[in-house]
Amino acid sequence: MNNHREMANKTSIGDKLRTYLKHPGSFITMLLVMLAAVITFAVLIFLIAYILVNGVPHIKPSLFSLEYSSENASVVPAFVNTIAMTLLSLIIAVPFGIFSAIFLVEYAKRGNKFVEVIRLTTETLSGIPSIVYGLFGMLFFVNALGWGFSLLAGAFTIAIMILPLIMRTTEEALKAVPDSYREGSFGLGAGKLRTVFRIVLPSAIPGVLAGVILAIGRIVGETAALMYTSGTVAQIPDSIMGSGRTLALHMYVLSSEGLYMDQAYATAVILLVLVVGINALSSVIARKLTKA
Amino acid sequence: MRSKAWTEKFMQGVFFVAACASILAVALICVFLFANGIPAMREIGFIKFLTGEIWRPNSEQFGILPMIVGSLYVTAGAIIFGVPIGILTSVFMAMYCPKQIYKPLKAATELLAGIPSVIYGFFGLVVVVPLIREFGTTLYKAGLVKSPGNGNSILTASLILGMMILPTIIGTTESAMRAVPAHYYEGSLALGATKERSIFRVIIPAAKSGVIAGIVLGIGRAIGETMAVIMIVGNQARLTGSILDGIRTLTGNIVIEMGYATGLHREALIATGVVLFVFILIINFSVALLKRGADHE
Amino acid sequence: MKMKKFIAVLAAASMVATMAVGCGGGEDTSAEGTDAAATEEGGEAASGDWDAANMITVVSREEGSGTRGAFTELFGVVDDEDNDMTTLDAQVTNSTSVMMTTVSENEYAIGYISLGSLDESLVKAVKIDGAEATAENIENGSYKVSRPFNVAVKPDSTNEVAKDFMAFIMSTEGQEVVSGEGYIPVADVEAYAGSAPEGSCVVGGSSSVSPLMEKLIEAYAAVNPNASIELQTSDSTTGMTSAIEGSYDIGMASRELKDEEAAELEGTVIATDGIAVIVNQGNPTDDLSADQVKSIYLGDVTTWDAL
Repeated sequence: MNNHREMANKTSIGDKLRTYLKHPGSFITMLLVMLAAVITFAVLIFLIAYILVNGVPHIKPSLFSLEYSSENASVVPAFVNTIAMTLLSLIIAVPFGIFSAIFLVEYAKRGNKFVEVIRLTTETLSGIPSIVYGLFGMLFFVNALGWGFSLLAGAFTIAIMILPLIMRTTEEALKAVPDSYREGSFGLGAGKLRTVFRIVLPSAIPGVLAGVILAIGRIVGETAALMYTSGTVAQIPDSIMGSGRTLALHMYVLSSEGLYMDQAYATAVILLVLVVGINALSSVIARKLTKA
Repeated sequence: MRSKAWTEKFMQGVFFVAACASILAVALICVFLFANGIPAMREIGFIKFLTGEIWRPNSEQFGILPMIVGSLYVTAGAIIFGVPIGILTSVFMAMYCPKQIYKPLKAATELLAGIPSVIYGFFGLVVVVPLIREFGTTLYKAGLVKSPGNGNSILTASLILGMMILPTIIGTTESAMRAVPAHYYEGSLALGATKERSIFRVIIPAAKSGVIAGIVLGIGRAIGETMAVIMIVGNQARLTGSILDGIRTLTGNIVIEMGYATGLHREALIATGVVLFVFILIINFSVALLKRGADHE
Repeated sequence: MKMKKFIAVLAAASMVATMAVGCGGGEDTSAEGTDAAATEEGGEAASGDWDAANMITVVSREEGSGTRGAFTELFGVVDDEDNDMTTLDAQVTNSTSVMMTTVSENEYAIGYISLGSLDESLVKAVKIDGAEATAENIENGSYKVSRPFNVAVKPDSTNEVAKDFMAFIMSTEGQEVVSGEGYIPVADVEAYAGSAPEGSCVVGGSSSVSPLMEKLIEAYAAVNPNASIELQTSDSTTGMTSAIEGSYDIGMASRELKDEEAAELEGTVIATDGIAVIVNQGNPTDDLSADQVKSIYLGDVTTWDAL
């Protein structure tokens, strides 16, 4: 029924629709694509609205006190910790991720066994559940290396976790750079290294950035891996060797005993704002980098 | 000139070392997991551990078959819901989306990736669980299913997980599709193919490796997700035949009980982690094989 | 060209919207039913949507949890050898808030939570054998379902702040905080007479003890501003193992110490916490006997009208 009406509607609109009449398969595909997009965004808007409706009424000035106490459930320390944690883990993971992607795409020979091993290990890494990372981080960074519950231990654990994401996306982006760019650069007498850093990598930046943004999403949303590594102290630590909880962890702790549900939703709103901010910032940076 | 050659060699070394980091990480995690998990498995008995249907740690019964099946069910469900919608949405984002609304939509999908699991969990608990309960009761009254379930079910978890893997799939698939050179698409149109045919017959096959990478990342996320799943899947450690019933997943088993477990119980949980790890290895191996098969075609 | 796309989107959107409204309608009626049942509180045969022939949704805590341990032991949900026999069909959760949300969303659910976390606006605590779940009833022994909050330190610990803080918790001032938060204090304590030493210490463990500990730390900061105390919220086992390994100076557990832990640590009960049995507010049941709770959790009774 619906389909018929839509077809009728369409024939009156445009030229291109006649093509759809000739190719009903294409028309159905187009409808499916539209339907999927509508479902995705309807779900998304519903979810965001759910968070806002539950959280916004509970955002109070006391939530932004400088020090956390059980009365105000302040998000400020957790906010600062989240940013510190994001920066730290990106500093560790991004160079490793980009360099290994460069190795895989630009240096390793096609079909090399070693490349396959690396690919398999990164895929394995991306499949390990965060709770296992958390346990591993606790035994290795916290206990074996003696760092204690600290931002640093958390950042290293998270860095391993996001490494495959950054590697995969960078790899795809590097592969998409046409070989003619490389050949042109070699033809002008540039060395391999120069070609990689001056020609290939800059054109791959949007792809790399997509990976970084996904990674940031995982970092700020992570709880299980951080609970056992960076600890759950609700204050800003003096150094990266101190323990502190991020916003997501803060939310988890607030919600786990059911005593601070309102504040937990309010925290979620702030977390959303933070993600929007970080994403906007990174697209600004990307624009700057691609222009330069 | 010589110093330049040296820099080239040196940087190649640096890239190589960076590439080895992931191997090192997997090796370390392997060592830690196996060292802690294998002794417990031996104590319980490999076969008994893997095929046992009863999990009662307090009476020393450690069978994780229900959890293995649970993880399979829930992940398969997430793929059924998440992958088609995710890929079609990325087609929309890459090929159909009007310029004016592209930016806000893109920002929205990125936002979806940053929402903590706990929020998805509460959303599922308050919004999806009652809907599924209603759905189950309707089916039950119509005589289509044996038990109505109570909303905390495999179906609910699949839906929520499908939602959670969307941003991963959309992000990687879309960028892979955008990376396909424009003349592929234009060439196909010029040959008289419709837009849809060009997309699904030319662009997606050309972007195949990126699309597969996105799906694999999504599957990884679905198997590994815990915090949201344990809130909505019921966590009953027993086998079931209905997707309206609850079940427990491998990750859920670890997270739920790790907090209080001691002694053999704790080791059995780490052994659960080992099984999960082997699971992921198997999936990755089969994907690698599939890919190789596809490449040879 | 663009018009066409917009129309396609609109058409699809209206389709989805119609579906959503369809589902929403069903939900609305059930919500009304809940309200109707709630207003008729106490009535034996409630009207509205409440249908006692429905299956009970049994919600339990995870194996090993202090709450579950105390619950199964006190209600006798065990076999002859004291093994936990909670029905395998029971839903399991490891979080108080999930337990509360599940019960408040499902009319036919039953669960149990810490008395300190009970939110009467969401769920209803039932009387057990006629006794209401209150701190007084636990103290006078008429309500029997409770569990200890333990903290543990290494016997050879040299941390002065940790010792002084322990002394504060076990003082009149500290126990006032305990009863102020709705928990049952320890009897026979004296006034705090500590030395207020300088330094720092780390307290960590059970998330059930954490909210109380947070209040204790804030009260302690008022009497000894020289000390800084970090609070780590994780779980009972992490609390105990970390106290043994030394990364926590004081560990917290919402269960009894296991033998292997008691060998290395010195445990102290700082408070007692009641366990409330909760049902949905639309459920007309106000009073359950211990035997009824037992048979529900054993899986012998599966519908509300079979009680």
